[in-house]
Amino acid sequence: MIRLENISKRFGGYQALHDIDLDVRDGEFLALLGPSGSGKTTLLRIIAGLAFPDKGTVRFNAEDVTNLKVADRKVGFVFQHYALFKHMTVADNVGFGLSVRSRRERPAKEAIRARAEELLELVQLKGLGNRYPAQLSGGQRQRVALARALAVEPQLLLLDEPFGALDAQVRKELRRWLRQLHGQMGLTSIFVTHDQEEALELADRVVVMDHGVIEQVGTPEDVYMAPHSPFVSNFVGETNSLPVSVRGGQTQFFDRVIDVPANTIPDGAARLDFRPHDVTVCDERPGCLPLLVTGVYRRGGEWRVEGEVTGIDRIIEVDLDAGQAPPEIGKRLGIKVKHAKLFQLSEARQ
Amino acid sequence: MNDILALFRTVRARHFLIAAALAFIALFLVLPLVAVFTEALSKGFAAYGSALIEPDALAAVKLTLLVAAISVPVNIVFGICAAWAVAKFDFPGKSLLVTFIDLPFSVSPVVAGLIYVLLFGAQGWLGPWLQDRDIQIIFAVPGIVLATVFVTFPFVARELIPLMNEQGRDDEEAALSLGASGFQTFLRVTLPNIRWGLLYGVLLCNARAMGEFGAVSVVSGHLRGLTNTMPLHVEILYNEYNFVAAFAVASLLALLALVTLILKSIVEWRFDYHRRSVAH
Repeated sequence: MIRLENISKRFGGYQALHDIDLDVRDGEFLALLGPSGSGKTTLLRIIAGLAFPDKGTVRFNAEDVTNLKVADRKVGFVFQHYALFKHMTVADNVGFGLSVRSRRERPAKEAIRARAEELLELVQLKGLGNRYPAQLSGGQRQRVALARALAVEPQLLLLDEPFGALDAQVRKELRRWLRQLHGQMGLTSIFVTHDQEEALELADRVVVMDHGVIEQVGTPEDVYMAPHSPFVSNFVGETNSLPVSVRGGQTQFFDRVIDVPANTIPDGAARLDFRPHDVTVCDERPGCLPLLVTGVYRRGGEWRVEGEVTGIDRIIEVDLDAGQAPPEIGKRLGIKVKHAKLFQLSEARQ
Repeated sequence: MNDILALFRTVRARHFLIAAALAFIALFLVLPLVAVFTEALSKGFAAYGSALIEPDALAAVKLTLLVAAISVPVNIVFGICAAWAVAKFDFPGKSLLVTFIDLPFSVSPVVAGLIYVLLFGAQGWLGPWLQDRDIQIIFAVPGIVLATVFVTFPFVARELIPLMNEQGRDDEEAALSLGASGFQTFLRVTLPNIRWGLLYGVLLCNARAMGEFGAVSVVSGHLRGLTNTMPLHVEILYNEYNFVAAFAVASLLALLALVTLILKSIVEWRFDYHRRSVAH
């Protein structure tokens, strides 16, 4: 198990990480999700031993490794741009970790080569051992980088934006494959991503970060369905936000009461977040939201309807069943919010 | 019609430019080179040969090789250290260091020589101290080496800094994460990554080390057979109207230049190829 306690890190005047506490369970596939500048890569590098915290402790299985260098932590690290050694063949790249061991622990040349071939087979690059990295495609390079990291038999695999530099098709394939490999090898893996879809699809648990703090840790289901903060609600999945006020357990959008219970929120300003698919059409009845339709297009089995709501200048997006006729542009549509999340707003946040 | 005229003009312009460039090269580069060899051989091969194996000439060749053999390795070490520090770490005074590395390029070599006379000469700051201990730097081989190191020290560093900057730290971090020691990382990852740039810098550095005149002239003292490098020896012979000998020694320097040029082209070609293969 990996335990981070109170990790803080400063770069000059910039607070990259602020009192981070996090537990990573054995065998877990964990995503560090956040926008750029959220501190997710810094946190990953601190876990790896490529960067060191100003404050706090890193523990691997209760052992304090805070001051241990990367070479002594036995982690596999896959870099965003792979960082393959371009003057070495693919097999030499994969075998590098074994070949730099001290004479006593170093396997024979043939053994290293055999191990490299084994790993190349594992990452489905059999027979490419004699090529150079420049002769491989992006996806292949990524897998070589992975094989190289796995060669030293790490307990912990760390991946920095592992799919960032790949095109959509390769990315999807590689994701599925990585997920499979993780299970098969019994690793603990942590990966950094800014792509919420990637995090939700791959990870057992998602750590959502922003401005150097952890906003929420939870399963993809938790993070998506029950976001703890307006930031998480906004960053993970698509969200519509309405400024509302709460009075006596009732939600009001300007002077219109909306059918969303607000029993747990004290009176005052609040933000109402709902997903595009969490709505039904309800005509212009009380409790509904009047939407002026400005655009409709097909999105798989649903109509994506874009519309305006009087009082806010953002476009509201909702999904309607494509089994029915699409709403006409320019028409008013009553929207009932089935499932929503209310966030109490402090005065400053308004 | 106008198009054809314009095309004709551009063709003419192209021919003119190429002819001008070739004429310039012939006049200022090829002709002197040819002149050096004709003058050197004007009294036949025997005179040429005996001018080269004359003891003072041999001493000058030896000294030049010795100076290059010391200053080039020193600059390799310094250049790699400086480039590494600048490219891979952030520290206060970094831009100052980069500026200082360029200093020998912007200072006249004669001034560089004078600096050392001022420091280590008999009347210099450290002169008396050195004299007490019987250490001779100015008008001796150490002074020549120091002046040469000063003049040549930007070559390797200048070549490596942009290269290492561009390469970043990822490769080194990857090697470290795989368990390599700092030295293993340098030897097996950093050095191969910079080898062509390094070789290129070393060639330029070596050519300058062997050909330097100004700075060395100031600190050498022109003691025949003792502190004369090849360029200084050429000048002395020339001033003595010993043209055959002067041009014979000069032809060795010219040959060095030609060899450097050829090696440089090969390295550049390899370097380009290497870079292209790296940039997917």
